[in-house]
Amino acid sequence: MKALEVINLKKTYTDKVAGLPVEALKGINLSIDKGSIFGLLGPNGAGKTTLIGAITTLEEPTSGDVRVFGESVIKDPLKTKMHTGVVLQEVVNTGFFSVEEILDFQSGYYGLYKNKEQCDYLMQKLSLYEHREKKVKQLSGGMKRRLMIAKALVHKPKLLLLDEPTAGVDVGLRESLWKFVHELKAEGISILLTTHYLEEAEKMCDHVAIIHKGQLLFNGTPENMISTYSHKKLILIMKSGETREYIESNRLGIAEMLAKYEIDIAEIHDLKIEEGRLEDAFSKMVGT
Amino acid sequence: MIIFLTLLRREIKRFLKVIIQTVVSPIVSSFLYLLVFGVSLGASVQLKDGMVYLAFLIPGLMVMGLINNAFQNSSSSVVTSKFSGDLEDLRVAPIPHYYIIWAMGIGGVFRGSLVAIISGLVGSVFYYIQQHEILPIAHPFWMIYFFISGGLIFAFLGIFVAFIAKTFDQLSAFSTFILLPLTYLGGVFISIQSLPEIWQMLSKLNPLFYLINGFRYSILGKSDVGLNVSAMVSLVGLVITFLMAQLALKKGSFSRW
Repeated sequence: MKALEVINLKKTYTDKVAGLPVEALKGINLSIDKGSIFGLLGPNGAGKTTLIGAITTLEEPTSGDVRVFGESVIKDPLKTKMHTGVVLQEVVNTGFFSVEEILDFQSGYYGLYKNKEQCDYLMQKLSLYEHREKKVKQLSGGMKRRLMIAKALVHKPKLLLLDEPTAGVDVGLRESLWKFVHELKAEGISILLTTHYLEEAEKMCDHVAIIHKGQLLFNGTPENMISTYSHKKLILIMKSGETREYIESNRLGIAEMLAKYEIDIAEIHDLKIEEGRLEDAFSKMVGT
Repeated sequence: MIIFLTLLRREIKRFLKVIIQTVVSPIVSSFLYLLVFGVSLGASVQLKDGMVYLAFLIPGLMVMGLINNAFQNSSSSVVTSKFSGDLEDLRVAPIPHYYIIWAMGIGGVFRGSLVAIISGLVGSVFYYIQQHEILPIAHPFWMIYFFISGGLIFAFLGIFVAFIAKTFDQLSAFSTFILLPLTYLGGVFISIQSLPEIWQMLSKLNPLFYLINGFRYSILGKSDVGLNVSAMVSLVGLVITFLMAQLALKKGSFSRW
């Protein structure tokens, strides 16, 4: 059984300004294996947040289905929500309550009474424990993000949805968050994340999908995407002092490239290789 | 049950965190109404059956405190959650809609009753000072009935309006142009028997008139309209506003303002 299956999911809404129908999702199909990290990548407005909205029932799909551990989100949302934790893109600014109270209420929303142990664990893990009596407005942007992650994990979900969890977060915190995400994966939690940091997606994800204008352009491993869509650059400094550059598919090895361009190794003084990156492949696919 | 109790706990804790604004301020308003209208001007008001105007006013002010605060509690709960974004937390959690409605409804009854009871106690002190006797409660059962039904009706209405409203202005317009006139013309300060016939007829179209009079009957044992009619109108109002709140949660927006 898959952790998440999105089956021919379509979402059309009417643009309030133009009054015209907009196809936000045009028949998306994807699935996430248990215990894996799935990166959903795409430019702004591609449909990532709409897709997460459909999985979490914030958006009602026009057609298609979403299944979480085999249960339909449309037919049995209360059941699927018990398995799912969500960190939405926009920061929540609950004004009345402290960090501790918020996590207590969040536990209660999932039917958990006296969930202090898990709340304390998450606060400590996410460096919020010393700020537990502060209200949200007293927290920094990074702390607010960490609070949202803690909220998503109070009920120990089996599937975690992270919509741009590191947007606006500094480098140090980003690294600690990704480390934590890896720990969650090691605990067997399946993770769907959207991010603009392609380098991190390349390192983090077992599987990536590219969504653009409501359609999936690619669905596979990061390695597969790089080898298919990006190029490596071979820079040769010849003994004559001349510098030559060759751009080729990632699939070709150095020997194959040298053979292809009939270069004599004896003429080479030095060489440098710039490997293709997920970012290159992404740019090529979505045309940015 | 834990989910429901958490929602209820959150509702009550929320308004208690800002108790000056949510409880003390409406009580001060009621105190001033009692002082100005009940004690000062009331001395020159002659009511049918020789009823003391202050005794007439106290139940009216209690209902006004009840319904205004029940409405404010649920509507502000939804609206502040729309501003902060935590309404989405409720949407993504496994919470049936009716839990949210009943928790906000009971939260509204709790705050409304608190304001109404304290206003009633303040009014009773004024009454004792003026009349040298305690204001009795004629029908405690019916008082509880109208407390609960009135509070729930307006808390449900608050949910409906706050979910449907697209801006803060729309919510405020409902309070100013619909709720306030209906309250004032529903018989809080005056008996409709003192009005010209046409206004008496129009007042009887106001559902709040039945709630106010039912509540007045529960304390004074007399009112402008029969108890059965008041009880029935309140019950129908309760069912209708519950369905409106259900519809609002189904069709209304959980997204941020």
